[in-house]
Amino acid sequence: MRAEPAVRGASSAPPLPRRRGPIAGASKLIISLVSCILIIAVWEGAVRFGFIQPLFLPAPSQIVNRAMLMLEQGTLFGHVIASTWRVMVGFVLASCVAIPLGIFLGTSALSRAIFDPVLSFLRPLPSMSWIPLSLLWFGIGESQKYSIVFMGSFAPSLLYVMEATKGVDPLLVKAAQNLGAKQKDVMLEVILPASLPQIISGLKVMLGIAWTCVISAELVAAREGLGFLIMNGKEYFQTDTVVLGMVLISLTVMATDIVFRALERRILKWKD
Amino acid sequence: MEGLTSNAVIRFSDVSKSYGSLLALNDVSFNVEEGEFVVIVGASGCGKSTMLNMIAGFDQPSNGRIEVQGKEHSGVNPQCGMVFQQYALFPWMTVEDNIAFGLKMKGQSKAERRQHAQEFIEMVGLRGFEKAYPKALSGGMRQRVAIARVLANSPSVMLFDEPFAALDAMTRQVLQEELVKIYEQQRKTILFITHSIDEALLLSSRIVVMSARPGRIVQDIQNDLPHPRNAEVQLSERYVELKRHIWGSVQAEVMRSIEGAA
Ligand SMILES: Nc1ncnc2c1ncn2[C@@H]1O[C@H](COP(=O)(O)OP(=O)(O)O)[C@@H](O)[C@H]1O
Ligand SMILES: [Mg+2]
Repeated sequence: MRAEPAVRGASSAPPLPRRRGPIAGASKLIISLVSCILIIAVWEGAVRFGFIQPLFLPAPSQIVNRAMLMLEQGTLFGHVIASTWRVMVGFVLASCVAIPLGIFLGTSALSRAIFDPVLSFLRPLPSMSWIPLSLLWFGIGESQKYSIVFMGSFAPSLLYVMEATKGVDPLLVKAAQNLGAKQKDVMLEVILPASLPQIISGLKVMLGIAWTCVISAELVAAREGLGFLIMNGKEYFQTDTVVLGMVLISLTVMATDIVFRALERRILKWKD
Repeated sequence: MEGLTSNAVIRFSDVSKSYGSLLALNDVSFNVEEGEFVVIVGASGCGKSTMLNMIAGFDQPSNGRIEVQGKEHSGVNPQCGMVFQQYALFPWMTVEDNIAFGLKMKGQSKAERRQHAQEFIEMVGLRGFEKAYPKALSGGMRQRVAIARVLANSPSVMLFDEPFAALDAMTRQVLQEELVKIYEQQRKTILFITHSIDEALLLSSRIVVMSARPGRIVQDIQNDLPHPRNAEVQLSERYVELKRHIWGSVQAEVMRSIEGAA
């Protein structure tokens, strides 16, 4: 036992309840790892001992086998890359339009009044609802996938950016103007960097939405990609392919999130 | 009195300002000559910030004229550099980039800006902190950056809106001394708002006392205390006399504003 400070014993006040410290980094990692292994083991066992039909949920080992097979055939990464690329193109396009437009709209009440009806109309539309029109407009090629991601993430991104500009301290704008900043400078040098933390956290949410968009687009009409992989697995009753597709989506989204966070830390190193 | 021939840097002629039905300033006329260090004192809410905001061009008078260097301005006028109580530094910029912001707006190249900024970084004693972000600085250091940022932009008038009010007493004293030094070196025209009569007496060449709202000028005193205004001066008869004099009218106005609010 650790020695308590002498004063504690002498004081009449009841001792503070001993608070358990946060679990330290290394032990947290071990706990998470053990939990992960345990879940996989129970799952594997449940299928092996016949509690679960492999057709409904294949064992982890079967999924790994399927992955190895596809790796040998050289098709595995093709699907991952196809989906990731579509997400990136659509997402980057949407951001490139939404960030400047959002900053402009956020700082100009007149333009906000003009765009408000269109935005209010677009916002509630789920990306899925754009699929028929986009097929009509763009066919089933790559641009149709980009457009689905774009349409699904553009309106919410724009709203995030506009909301972020509202949080900018007006005193900073005043200070900038006092130092000679014109309207353009205020937008580029003050509003944009000041709202960047909020914009980035909005974009993180949008990245998740962009993935949902691309998968739904691929489920409907595609020749490669993770959504296609799942759909194709279903057609051939290959449940292991279906689950492999799901696992790959999850891992890829996690990986992009890690990259995004690293980027965020670099860009926002001035934040407390 | 100082008639049409004076080369006033700032000229208020019958200036009134109302916000809706609230009359903030009532018929204020006064001039500030080049090189004066004018400190404005008055009860809170009497329109001191409003005056500075109108000089800087953030706001326009409802009636009357405000001329800066002989011209009326309809927008923000960077010739009147403002130092805010809340520092208003750009948190995403380093000390150096904050100080060079005005130069960037003027279109100076990066190398020019850096060289130019360095002079002011040293003037306010921030050498070694060029690459620090504001989050890493104490309140006193942040206010130094804000002062250097305005100085680097070489305005003809500097406006200070209670710049040291949020600082602890020690830091405040150090900054007051530094500001006096900078004033003596640069000979800028300064308008400075404070709640502290001591601060007013230490810094100013002239003290303007405002009435309770609606603000008017009730006293306009030349501060003839000798420099440097060290402990000895602060214990002198003249200091105490001036302090009593100013305190008398400030107190009367504060009482009036409290009664007015009740
Ligand atoms: N933008 C504004 N809108 C409405 N009222 C304001 C505005 N700015 C200042 N006021 C009012 O005008 C009066 C003077 O304000 P201010 O100049 O800030 O006083 P001081 O700086 O002397 O404390 C106050 O009653 C304040 O509430
Ligand atoms: Mg004020």
